[in-house]
Amino acid sequence: MDIHSLAEQAAKIVSKYAGEYIVKITRTDDLMVKYARGESTVTQSWSTIDVEVYAAKNQRILITSYSTTTPERALEELPRLIEALQPSPLYAPLPQANGEPLSFVDEKVREVVLSGDARKQVEELALEEAGDVAGKVEFALKKVVLVGSNGADYSYEATHFNGYIRVFREGSSGQWSWTSSSYEPSLARKALEQAVELASLCSRLPKKSIEPGRYRVLLSPMVAGNLVEHLAMAASAGSIIFGFSFLQARKPGDSVASEELTVLDKPRDTSLPGFTGFDDEGVATRDKPIVEKGVLKTILHNTKTARVLGGETTGNAGWITPHPYNIEVKPGDHTLDELIEALGTGVYITNNWYTRFQNYLEGRFSTVSRDAVILYENKKPVACTERIRIADTMPNLFNSIEAIGREAWQIEWWEVTVPTRIPHILIKDIGLSKPT
Amino acid sequence: MIDESLLNRLIEEMNSRGAEYAEARYHNIVRTSIIVLNGMVIGVGKEVKEGIALRAVAEGGLGFASSTSLNTEDALAAARRAVMAAKTSARTKRNPVRMGPARLGRAKYSVVEREPLEDVSLDDKVKSLIEEYKALQLEKNGFKVSSLTLHYAESIETKVVVTSDSAHVESRVPRVAVFYNIAASNGGGKQANRFFELGGSGGYEVYRGFNLAKQIQDDIESLYIALTRARSPPRGRMDVIVSPELVGLIVHESAGHPSEADRVLGREAAQAGMSFRSYYKEERIGSEHVTVVDDPTIPGSLGFYLYDDEGVAARERVLYDHGRLAELLHNRETAAVYGVESNAAARAMDYESEPIIRMANTYMKPGDYSFEELVEDVKYGVYIKKYMEWNIDDVRWGQRYVGLEAYIIQNGELKQPITNVVLETTTKNFYSSIDAVGKDLKFYAGICGKGEPAQGVPVWMGGPHVRLRNMYIG
Repeated sequence: MDIHSLAEQAAKIVSKYAGEYIVKITRTDDLMVKYARGESTVTQSWSTIDVEVYAAKNQRILITSYSTTTPERALEELPRLIEALQPSPLYAPLPQANGEPLSFVDEKVREVVLSGDARKQVEELALEEAGDVAGKVEFALKKVVLVGSNGADYSYEATHFNGYIRVFREGSSGQWSWTSSSYEPSLARKALEQAVELASLCSRLPKKSIEPGRYRVLLSPMVAGNLVEHLAMAASAGSIIFGFSFLQARKPGDSVASEELTVLDKPRDTSLPGFTGFDDEGVATRDKPIVEKGVLKTILHNTKTARVLGGETTGNAGWITPHPYNIEVKPGDHTLDELIEALGTGVYITNNWYTRFQNYLEGRFSTVSRDAVILYENKKPVACTERIRIADTMPNLFNSIEAIGREAWQIEWWEVTVPTRIPHILIKDIGLSKPT
Repeated sequence: MIDESLLNRLIEEMNSRGAEYAEARYHNIVRTSIIVLNGMVIGVGKEVKEGIALRAVAEGGLGFASSTSLNTEDALAAARRAVMAAKTSARTKRNPVRMGPARLGRAKYSVVEREPLEDVSLDDKVKSLIEEYKALQLEKNGFKVSSLTLHYAESIETKVVVTSDSAHVESRVPRVAVFYNIAASNGGGKQANRFFELGGSGGYEVYRGFNLAKQIQDDIESLYIALTRARSPPRGRMDVIVSPELVGLIVHESAGHPSEADRVLGREAAQAGMSFRSYYKEERIGSEHVTVVDDPTIPGSLGFYLYDDEGVAARERVLYDHGRLAELLHNRETAAVYGVESNAAARAMDYESEPIIRMANTYMKPGDYSFEELVEDVKYGVYIKKYMEWNIDDVRWGQRYVGLEAYIIQNGELKQPITNVVLETTTKNFYSSIDAVGKDLKFYAGICGKGEPAQGVPVWMGGPHVRLRNMYIG
């Protein structure tokens, strides 16, 4: 199906009812092999078409989304919907489109997805040979078309190869992930090695409980990726406007983290699968620091949030809420051995989940460890501990960064939803808790 | 809607390609949402998610495929992909997938809308939300609500499920929900949030039943108390009374989730995790006062259904029975492993989702204590009324809940308000410490996440007030 024709067809209908509009159509073909207990539990295959429409008339905003190949009938109800609206306080005119499309297609990924047959790759990766493993391997091909009343007429194609592996060894476990725009089996194998190493290490070490308290903590890229994603989302003007941001009272130029930390949004990096050359308003994307050496540099904006909070679009639309595309934490100078040396006596947390906020505005949160949590004493791993929590505030966490590793990992999984390139991060003093 | 003969043709196509079991689901969700920020309409959203979902078991492997296109050619291609997917999984499969016997339905049902959603204009729905906002008192004594976001969402979910072993179930379930986030400050630099959701199945009468302004005003008052009067919580061992709001969440997290048979078997190990029920050898998990059930058939509930997405007839499932571990939540695959009949827990979020084991409406059965009777027997303790932060580990054992509005209890009376009170405990400790259960059962709405890709399905969570003895409060 030619989704460009579909977009033009939809735009023609919408233009009858709305002064301003954008039509975005995404066609996704996706193949995912899921594992548990050392075997594939299910393979899933998708072929989906999403038609999304932004329409504005007399400062009223309507956003629709149809998963359909025949949106015509659905779009006919636009006038009824739009007339019921009131002028939106978020409204701003669509900007003149100036997108600079980027595409990256890995032919191997395309071939797997379109054939619907990943049997060869499943055999090549042979994840089940690691024994008791769980996880997923995913291949995706996406084509996006964006046309709008502001002159936008862009399209791009992207491929995506990602996954994660959890390995179990005698009551211990380790988990790691990878993500890329290309089929790189070495990434999957390296993630598998990491997971095996962590699970094996904890299976050899004694188990020891720790008391709740404040500790020096080394965060794996899995954990750091989850927490930095919360920082990047807090820098979205949408989070600020809707009352979900611990950066609400901060302005660009304010210190929000240790000077070790530089966080970038990199939409133009085609090696990470979140890339795009234009945002949902048709504005050209650009790579930018969100935090540079601890200083807040950029609030992520679309045209609407920029008008409300002051500033200019940063090319991060979201029609309502701006968002980052690919996150990168600038590597530091330290090898993992050096970070462990600096950790000295402390806790290495290798994976986490379930990050929840008691108070979004002050950033009070906790998150639960899973998989290997390794206790170090005098730079040596001496034991693994039970599941614990990081329980502190986000400002304190990011201000307590002591050092950042030099080797960056490309992470994407359940708890790191934005493709992220990130090293290990050492935190000098953070609260840990557990059930009492 | 779909021409149902197409679903039968897809079943035939999968069978002809080697499927031992085939399932076809037409799934359509039409959703309308309205977002109001500080009394002004930000925008309106309309979403239609329509397509077909197919599953096949072939060569012992399980495959899933979905297609937006309902065109016969595209749908048949999806059927072939489902079988190919099954064969891909079969490559590494040591234990072939089997679909166990179950009470399969041939039925058609729909939830009645006393006030059909279509009969209330969008304009009236928008105006109603704005009127609710206008009725609120947002400031007092320096305290101020800095932002209030209301998100109204109504949906109509229509499904047809057909299986190769003769299930045929058509359903239509309308739902209404409101999410809101209140951000407030005390005027002196302290800030806090309250995020909450209301929801049920039915027509617009569900929305009217929310009493939205009253509900939100009550939460604003909680923030006012937390930000202006509440002190830091005490620490140490003491008795705790937990509200229905928090009991509902706790039973969802530490009774419902660990009772999902796919977790127990490890199928979700790398995602939502596993369950202590995989290795826990004791018969008892709590005191005799604790009975937790999950029941999809509660009229008006957000998690309502009469047949699951494998076409199996739904019923109440008893998860913890007077403190003893009882049945698991099953789909047909896990039921076959355990040698039991499926108890109809297979749900799929939409046509892009495989049916997996999910809760519906999980709650603790009420006892016979009034709230006053629970409190009067506490010499010193805390009452946790509302919470914000919570989480639980991936085997559903260690869990943490942080109170937003809470009170000291002294000599049988509620006293000083406190906030940020932390209850961090284990599943066994929580349920074993319950010595009295209230009679005031209430339900709360939520979206439960699980699966890969992650699926969020609507649920209710509920319970009465309960009293726990000698808990550690931090």
